[in-house]
Amino acid sequence: MAPEQSPPGVRIRGLTVAYRTPAGELPAVCGVDLDLAPGTITGVVGESGSGKSTLALSLLNAVQPPGRIAAGSVEIDGLGDVVALGGEGLRRARGRHVGYVFQAAQNSLNPLKTVGKQVLDLGRSHGVADLRGLLADARGLLDRMGLDGARVLDSYQHELSGGMRQRVGIMLALVLNARLVVLDEPTTALDMITQATILRIVREVHAERGLTTLVITHDLGVVAEVADRLAVMYGGRIVEQGPTRQVLAEPRHPYTRGLLRAIPRLVGDIAEARALPGRPPTLADIPADGCVFRERCPLRMDACETGSPPVVTRGSRSAACHAVRDDEGDRPAVAATTGEDQS
Amino acid sequence: MITGTGITKTFRQRGGVLGAREVPALRGVDFTIPKCGAVSFIGESGCGKTTLGRIIAGLETYDAGEIVIDGVAMSSLSHRRRQPYFRRIQLIHQDPYSALNPTRTIHQALAAPLALRARQTGRPRSWTDERARELLGLVGLDPDYVLPRYPHQLSGGMRQRVVIARALTVDPEVLVADEAVSMIDVSLRLGVLALLKDLRERLGVSVLFITHDVATARYIGTDGELYVIYRGQVVERGPVETVISAPVHPYTQALLSAIPVLHGLESPGEQRVVPLEASGEHPDGCLFAPRCPFRTERCENERPTLGPAPGQEGGTPQEHACFHPERRSVVAVPVSGR
Repeated sequence: MAPEQSPPGVRIRGLTVAYRTPAGELPAVCGVDLDLAPGTITGVVGESGSGKSTLALSLLNAVQPPGRIAAGSVEIDGLGDVVALGGEGLRRARGRHVGYVFQAAQNSLNPLKTVGKQVLDLGRSHGVADLRGLLADARGLLDRMGLDGARVLDSYQHELSGGMRQRVGIMLALVLNARLVVLDEPTTALDMITQATILRIVREVHAERGLTTLVITHDLGVVAEVADRLAVMYGGRIVEQGPTRQVLAEPRHPYTRGLLRAIPRLVGDIAEARALPGRPPTLADIPADGCVFRERCPLRMDACETGSPPVVTRGSRSAACHAVRDDEGDRPAVAATTGEDQS
Repeated sequence: MITGTGITKTFRQRGGVLGAREVPALRGVDFTIPKCGAVSFIGESGCGKTTLGRIIAGLETYDAGEIVIDGVAMSSLSHRRRQPYFRRIQLIHQDPYSALNPTRTIHQALAAPLALRARQTGRPRSWTDERARELLGLVGLDPDYVLPRYPHQLSGGMRQRVVIARALTVDPEVLVADEAVSMIDVSLRLGVLALLKDLRERLGVSVLFITHDVATARYIGTDGELYVIYRGQVVERGPVETVISAPVHPYTQALLSAIPVLHGLESPGEQRVVPLEASGEHPDGCLFAPRCPFRTERCENERPTLGPAPGQEGGTPQEHACFHPERRSVVAVPVSGR
């Protein structure tokens, strides 16, 4: 059962992660501020190269060379700043405090060992005294997720379907009672119905065990289904964040607007769906100065060329864009060009 | 026009402790791909939709059934004589990263099939360069930028456009797009879909779209046909808009119910269907019965076949394979006032 204390909060401040390349050190994540409130599910949405996976790895201080955390802090309740952690302390924190469900859990399992053996390995490496109890917990978690726990523990990964492996991945992240869980693309490569099942499980387990959860995905639909808060990443920056429903109902940043518009829906006029022009930047061509989105932005203006766009915060929402005005109530520039979404 | 009747395919796995095992991939599938049409096969992985696409593209054999291309039955032809027919049907793979040779420039990738085409049609060699530029323009790429480059220098969306341009080198009548946008960034997907739609309109090619994402199928053509496939059987078929707004088969309903709802913009459909965890097998019964929340005793003992859906007036008919057909509204609806 879930331990007593409250779920941990996370405060990321000024986080910059740079990768060493032949062209010099390039930031994949640049000056990111993000709070994960205790007990909430936060969704980070971005396309390839947006820095979302790098951001997730930073929570474990697990960015691999040639990348490194160049600046900033990741403050986790009960653990301190993980950027300052190293060696044995960091190893213990991973798994115990922070559970990580890897992208394509199918590839993160050991093909030569049964799931049960891998649970035991995990227990030993974290010095768990009661290994029997750990297996019982693992079985309980798998049963809870709609599987036959005893059978799955005796199975090799190739005997399990994609959806089952994903549930095993979630079990491994939770079995040491981590209260902060990071899920990286939890439903990529899964079928629609399996995806819906996994998302339901994520929601339920989150509530039952009192977790703080971070979901990383390229799919706005996934975030819409599970997350309380949504952060949109582009070119290594968070360009907009706020309560999920509010952001979806009234996106402020032109990128969020464009992304929402680029998703074909099942009802309504299909002709309203539009592709975003251009393409997302890669590490090599993220603009060093000015707004990272300006190349594709319909609202580009002179101010966008230099400096970082100001982060305009209103209540629990914020957006980093010159076209999003600080004054309350209306958004003249944005509203004028899209002519919709007025409430 | 391409029609298929009773297409059946069983994969045989040999070896293993239990000896040979037969895996039915397709169980007597009928389909029609009209000229300039848009047809979509929808289903989960392993349902047989990719196998069916490969059979239609002439890349896979089938055990029973008949494929007729422009009035000619393929079974009446030798393997050699069949080739020109299947060349009219070109497959676009899911992964544009592995579909292009990484050591060849885009110019080389297009020049090879075009040179062949020039020989076949008695055109001069100079035609190939001109045609390569024309095709790249057609798929929305700048030839001067793309031609000298290698695949790794292009984005996923650009690569998939190159793959489409390469498929167009042989002047196909049908493009078979198997999950053609699932590996492309969200903001670029729609561009590739719009291109397929545009090619339908401008070149008159038919598009056979194979996917698990119903919404993208809708974008290719709201006038198209949707085939919902479950474990090798077509369980529902009909016009795209009808099947989405008024699905009859519980499996179609479960698929549509599973599509994420953009809360804040939409509210969930009122009659969402959640399938059960599979329990038991009914060798003679409905294939979906083990997961169907509405199953009855009949479903476990008898297998329904495709038949007309209830309450239809004229137009293209909607068909389903279910003993207890009932229309349910499962799709998310936009929040009122939006």
